[in-house]
Amino acid sequence: MKEIKGTRLSSFLFLFLTGALCFFSGRSFLAMHQKEPVYPGAGLSSKKMLSDYLPALQNTHGDTEVYVFRGNEKGGHLLIIGGTHPNEPAGFVSAVLLVENISVKRGSVFIVPRANSSGFSHSDPQEGNPQRFAVPTPSGPRLFRLGSRLTNPIDQWPDPTVYINPAGQKLSGNEVRNLNRCFPGRVKGYLTEKIACGIIELIKQEAIDLGIDLHESAPEYPVINAIVFHENSAELAVLALMQLQSEGIEIRLEASPSNLRGLSHREWGDEAGIMAVLLETPNASHGRLKGKPSSDLIVEGKDKFYTKASQLGWLFVPFGEEGIPLAQRVARHLAGMEALISSLKELEPEKAVEVENIPPWAEVQEKGVGPFLHPPK
Amino acid sequence: MIRLFYHLIVMYLSLHLVWYMFRQRKFWSQTSAVLVLVLFLLRLFWIK
Repeated sequence: MKEIKGTRLSSFLFLFLTGALCFFSGRSFLAMHQKEPVYPGAGLSSKKMLSDYLPALQNTHGDTEVYVFRGNEKGGHLLIIGGTHPNEPAGFVSAVLLVENISVKRGSVFIVPRANSSGFSHSDPQEGNPQRFAVPTPSGPRLFRLGSRLTNPIDQWPDPTVYINPAGQKLSGNEVRNLNRCFPGRVKGYLTEKIACGIIELIKQEAIDLGIDLHESAPEYPVINAIVFHENSAELAVLALMQLQSEGIEIRLEASPSNLRGLSHREWGDEAGIMAVLLETPNASHGRLKGKPSSDLIVEGKDKFYTKASQLGWLFVPFGEEGIPLAQRVARHLAGMEALISSLKELEPEKAVEVENIPPWAEVQEKGVGPFLHPPK
Repeated sequence: MIRLFYHLIVMYLSLHLVWYMFRQRKFWSQTSAVLVLVLFLLRLFWIK
């Protein structure tokens, strides 16, 4: 490279350039803290915060909205969690879709769309992920943040070398910021443990009967298109599976391993005694074999490398050229939740929850998520 | 306490980088210093 002489003037210019780069990149990073709006539908009864259940979360980036829908008739209590992992968009979008559409006739439904609110405020380093993805609606695109699997290190730092979670499991240090390894949480623990504790408190104080945690995973991951269930929800999960299969939705059952501790489907059942299930859908943007990460990859779900991997038999789900779009993944979550709700009614009629206006999964799959979302402002 | 200590280390290294940039007479070395300094400053101000 040609040698160019540096001078005192160039040093000052570079110092100015440093300031400018810090300003623009800092502004972009800080914008990730701005929450995307959620527009609750007419069926909403009240909006609470997780800190109402665990005051230790007050004034922290771990505090998050809890949308409450109560029916006129007495029934069971259902908890739906999205955004436990903010880099799994179908879970978050499904929860938002419910908040903006449903009303409850019988029982109560509690929805937490951004379970790990701090995780939404940054993206995974060295992944090249977009900060946001755009879901097309009839009134224009609606933007959602694509966060990280882990809590923002700005909110919780440093990580220990080895993390021993509240359930006693030894994990690698950074799992201390993974909400789905921190259950049942600690009141005076790390921020992520406080969030986990807040969710457990919500479950206990609201006498939740069934908890559903919405996730996504990579197509090469074996636990996919699956219902992961705690042993106390085995019958419920089997009934839901039969219903889904009768509707033409292929799904598998995975029992929650009793020695894998700290996860929602294990600790909600063990600690709070509720029926606990976790739903997984396949997301190409989440996997290691993907091409360029982009908003289109998240929403349209097409990736030629995954198509090739599928042809080679490397994946646990079929992955054709049409991809697995967000609409299909959200539709699977909606169908899974509907099947679980109706199975609960069949198994324990006194705990039945009747939810109206859930967007029909087949229509979501056909028309996309956009027509069922509130138009962007 | 540990965070304060960490901030002091990052501040010390950032000042070193600025000093290095002014001492350096090679244009491209100054450029490299800028690229590192940006990351240090974002960390120092607890932005990223």
